[in-house]
Amino acid sequence: MKKFSTLVWLEHRRNWLWSLPLMGSLLFWAWGIKQVLIMSVEERLGIRAGLLMGAITIGTVLLVMMIGRIRSETRNGQYQVLLMSPPSGYTHILARFTYAAGVGFAYFIAIGFLFWWILELAGINFDTRSLFELILAMPFYGMSVVVLPILAYTLLLMVFVSAYRISGKGWIPGVAMLLGTPIAMQWLSEWIARITWTLPGWQVFANAPTALAERFGEFDPELSVEIGEVLHSGLPVEPMLVMLAVTAALLAIAGRIWQEVEA
Amino acid sequence: MTQAFLIVVRILAVALFAYWGYRLWTGTQSWTSRVLGLFFSAVLIWQATLGTWMITG
Repeated sequence: MKKFSTLVWLEHRRNWLWSLPLMGSLLFWAWGIKQVLIMSVEERLGIRAGLLMGAITIGTVLLVMMIGRIRSETRNGQYQVLLMSPPSGYTHILARFTYAAGVGFAYFIAIGFLFWWILELAGINFDTRSLFELILAMPFYGMSVVVLPILAYTLLLMVFVSAYRISGKGWIPGVAMLLGTPIAMQWLSEWIARITWTLPGWQVFANAPTALAERFGEFDPELSVEIGEVLHSGLPVEPMLVMLAVTAALLAIAGRIWQEVEA
Repeated sequence: MTQAFLIVVRILAVALFAYWGYRLWTGTQSWTSRVLGLFFSAVLIWQATLGTWMITG
């Protein structure tokens, strides 16, 4: 455990120049939100939500760039000196992933708060349950389905490429993996689509229509029925579980390769 | 594009991906990397031969 926490601390030392500006960029997005001054409340809310979607995309790209930087940590022996013994490949991978995932969670929870803020600015007052779903459940779900697998995939890609650095031709493993991944992802997504909704959905924002109706008036009856059906279905749990399992598998493979190559 | 041209393209693609598989197998001491490299080569060969993303004429 001491090794792991030391490695996470080293990850922070190495990456704070990335993680700090990433968190600081939220101030920029908050400033950008305040600059949207269109008269129509709906349009204003839409543009602000679009800005936050941009923040999510750019933040994800920055996290991927941060975790993907390969350094010659083991070759210059700093860990052996710090930890008195070489840490295992799995510990290395888990430490790097934990740091990036932690920064990611903090970032996306803050984005959840910004979403809550733009809703408040539009006069939509969520109750406590909806607020927690916005700032905790949605970041967790989104990260589990999209961000965590991408981070684990990036780690595996970098470790896989570095396994061939002695033999040269470093571009072949990278290109083969990048070209093969969409095909493998297609099979995976087809399988996920087949099993989706076999488990009960994760119901979120059950009280949101009330808040929206309080602000904008009652919905059209047909629209109310449709919204009710969507909320009753909830979020499918299967993609989240499958992608979390995929993340764990990618990390295990990356850790194994690191163990074989670097340890 | 004629059928013959597409067959030649597929044969060339299979040859390239098979060569990549060979390089990925022999280019490292890590068995996990070899298996992973072979997996991606096999996926690409499968796609070049039986997949649907290439224009079938």
